[in-house]
Amino acid sequence: MFQDESSSVTSSSSPLQVFSMMSLSPKLGSPYPWIRELKSEERGLYLIHLLLTCANHVANGSLENANIALEQISQLASPGGDTMQRMAAYFTEALADRILKAWPALHKALNSTRITLVSEEILVRKLFFELFPFMKVAFVLTNQAVIEAMEGEKMVHIIDLNAAEPAQWVALIQALSARPEGPPHLRITGIHQRKEVLDQMAHRLTEEAEKLDLPFQFNPVVSKLENLDIERLRVKTGEALAISSVLQLHSLLASDDELDRKKSPLGSKNLNGIHLQRALQMNQSTSGELLEKDSANGYSPSPDSASSSPLSSAGSVKVDSFLNALWGLSPKLIVITEQDSNHNGSTLMERLLESLHSYAALFDCSESTVSRTSLERLKVEKMLFGEEIKNIIACEGAERKERHEKLEKWIQRLKLAGFGNIPLSYYGMLHARRLLQGYNCDGYKMKEEDGCVVICWQDRPLFSVSAWRCRK
Amino acid sequence: MPVDVDNSSTVSGDASVSSSGNQNPPPKSTSKKKRSLPGMPDPDAEVIALSPKTLMATNRFVCEICNKGFQRDQNLQLHRRGHNLPWKLRQRSGKEVRKRVYVCPEPTCVHHDPSRALGDLTGIKKHFCRKHGEKKWKCDKCSKKYAVQSDWKAHSKICGTREYKCDCGTLFSRRDSFITHRAFCDALAEESAKAQTNPGSEPDPKVLAVDSSPTPALPPASPPVSAPAPVEVQVSAPALPQSTSAMTSSVMPIQSSELAEDPSSVIEEAPDLAPAGLNGSCSSGVSSVSNGSSSGGGGGGGSVFASLFASSTASASLQPPAFTDLIRAMGPPDCPIDPALSTPIEPISLCLSTSHGSPVFGSAGQEHRQYAPPPQPAMSATALLQKAAQMGAAASNASLLRGLGVVSSTSSSAPQENLQWVQGQVEPSNASVAAGLGLELPCDGSSGLKELMMGTPVFGPKQTTLDFLGLGVAASGSPNGGLSALITSIGSGLDVTAAAASFGGGDFKDIGRR
Repeated sequence: MFQDESSSVTSSSSPLQVFSMMSLSPKLGSPYPWIRELKSEERGLYLIHLLLTCANHVANGSLENANIALEQISQLASPGGDTMQRMAAYFTEALADRILKAWPALHKALNSTRITLVSEEILVRKLFFELFPFMKVAFVLTNQAVIEAMEGEKMVHIIDLNAAEPAQWVALIQALSARPEGPPHLRITGIHQRKEVLDQMAHRLTEEAEKLDLPFQFNPVVSKLENLDIERLRVKTGEALAISSVLQLHSLLASDDELDRKKSPLGSKNLNGIHLQRALQMNQSTSGELLEKDSANGYSPSPDSASSSPLSSAGSVKVDSFLNALWGLSPKLIVITEQDSNHNGSTLMERLLESLHSYAALFDCSESTVSRTSLERLKVEKMLFGEEIKNIIACEGAERKERHEKLEKWIQRLKLAGFGNIPLSYYGMLHARRLLQGYNCDGYKMKEEDGCVVICWQDRPLFSVSAWRCRK
Repeated sequence: MPVDVDNSSTVSGDASVSSSGNQNPPPKSTSKKKRSLPGMPDPDAEVIALSPKTLMATNRFVCEICNKGFQRDQNLQLHRRGHNLPWKLRQRSGKEVRKRVYVCPEPTCVHHDPSRALGDLTGIKKHFCRKHGEKKWKCDKCSKKYAVQSDWKAHSKICGTREYKCDCGTLFSRRDSFITHRAFCDALAEESAKAQTNPGSEPDPKVLAVDSSPTPALPPASPPVSAPAPVEVQVSAPALPQSTSAMTSSVMPIQSSELAEDPSSVIEEAPDLAPAGLNGSCSSGVSSVSNGSSSGGGGGGGSVFASLFASSTASASLQPPAFTDLIRAMGPPDCPIDPALSTPIEPISLCLSTSHGSPVFGSAGQEHRQYAPPPQPAMSATALLQKAAQMGAAASNASLLRGLGVVSSTSSSAPQENLQWVQGQVEPSNASVAAGLGLELPCDGSSGLKELMMGTPVFGPKQTTLDFLGLGVAASGSPNGGLSALITSIGSGLDVTAAAASFGGGDFKDIGRR
């Protein structure tokens, strides 16, 4: 076997030798001419190889080598090329960003004059909503769950944890106004960091409600989710409350991981103790399991965050207390849409590998849905996917907000917080499926898992939608 | 006329009118607003239950002394003067008038319950008329009847003024609602024309109107985005040929039954080949493969992917889907799979499904073209990753993989077989592709890939990977078998100065020397 190759290699032609020569003297003008001639598949494989190599170096701190790898990648990657090229472009940008953080002042200086246009952010969100079916499916399922839960209610209060896309509630208003028993009085409380976004939403929704003669009120709450003061939501006890969270909860998992790890085992156990107490209040029977789980995971950084219990990390404090606060409002329904991927691993390589797979699916999906020359697609890829990738790869601790986790972890968390699952309605799923079919693209799949719906591209789960009620 | 005030009590106390009482919300100390939200009466308010007669009466303003009713407040005041009230009582009572809420006398009504009382007398009167009253007012143009005169007036203003008519026949009196409707009515009509069967019409189309208005803003290259708007239209089986578009007819021939044995070859073929080439190379690939992959083929092949591609999507059930994934990977931009394939299928039935797909794919080819097909079918990123994972796994030691907790079925077959397989895969591909081992090395840019693959046998199972075991494991540290194994093999090939560029470069010298 080996002899075969060796014979073949010895008969190899000059490019190999040229190549090895060139590799030793990278200073040559265009060092890797052969690179340009790679076909897309080989190029793709090579890019993966290079990405992994580079990430390896970055993880080890050997920045010189990482630089060389980046040089190679830059010859091949391009935000306007095929899927692998695009992905590589954003991943390398993320890796480069990470490297740069080794010189914090430099990093800060480079980013100090960046202008973020609110209008661009809004536009990108809108594009993502329009070009891809994910948000639409989530909205359809959410709305259907709301309609069913609010049957017979005259006063409906909805809290939207990220009120950015009016289309969702426009559809709900239309559905509610057509309901056989007559429209309810609808109050929507929208939370968002930017006042402009809320103003737009208020305008659009009030307009729609007036058209359809639906008694309506929009209450804007300008706030970051992590700083949200529940009192500002003005929930009246006894009113029928529904909460909609679309891709928001994972940012609450962000915490100072280093602080957590540096704490003594005692410290982290104390933290776990707090969790335990709360958990005990919720559910006596699982306390034994929890104890076992916690002592096992205790202090060591979990190699696979998918397997550790959600209680064992400090990051869960914020999200747990937030969920508890929501539980305290006794909502009739809470619908949660989240990414269904494990991008919250504690090590860079873990996260890189996982996100390579997930974003490969997303980029493939993008490739199949929108043309390569589309500027909109480029914007979504750069400003949405690219930024997420950058956050996952380059940031750590409290800065790293894109802490996507798998559905089963969210289910665990929600159950611990006192929520019980409501299976999503068949009717809603039917609508959603038809919506997906309407995209004329076979990659989109929808499957049901534990009463929750998972939207996949080919076989890769991307987003999950689940509905919950307060369990006393 | 005498006005009967039947009873009054507080909302939060026990109401003698109705039996509820305990479901009242606790008084909110923060409510500073005078007007509480509908449906949430002020708990300290006084509940007034008026008789139906009173409610239907037109005199709203009642004198508290003699209970005479007046239509206007000014008239009431004039009347009160006549009672010669002592000066103190003449003023309207200085203290805050106790807030009054009204309940509906109809026992079956929701608003009969004090906790659902309405805050406004006019409101409760209108409610009673509308819901429990006789509809005396009739519109002359259409047949609608109303119990409240103001409702009737409002309607007759609008009735018959409908100016807007949509193609589907719906009439609108307002321009804005007409436009909104029309935006996704168009697509509705289109879809129903396309779909041959339409099982059951949607009772509630509005639920799905999530993507109505933004459609005009979409880039022309993505027409399907407007299509999803009429969600209620089913794209049923006959429509599928259109939806499973881009599988070009050229890819059809991959129905050769041997294909069932090694789906990986399928991946190889699709991306770079012209239709004719595809046929030829396919068969050659298949033949070379079927020899080499005994345990590797069939179910084994599936489990190879299942175990190697150990990302979080990997589950026990990954095996069949991996095949469908591969099929899809044949060129996702152009070749979405027939939904029939989407259900997990056994590896053996792979060929069957492809053949089922065939009549569908051909016709479907045209439509997907609209999606701006890439100039040549490109492998999807997902497929590339899978391939890389598999190649990486083939590279490293089987025991290394086991050590990482990933069971690889390739370990069962000798590395030789794997390599042959890798070889075989590549062989049928475009001639310019690094042909793997034992083949002539073309002098073009594919040497990069060659090295990738050559790296694998060169490093061999035991030697170099074990040397770099520390490096490999530390670097990856994750059970993600395939790619981490690839990292390991990369690690072993790396050399500080040359880094990625020379992965395997140094080793070539070794090979040469042998």
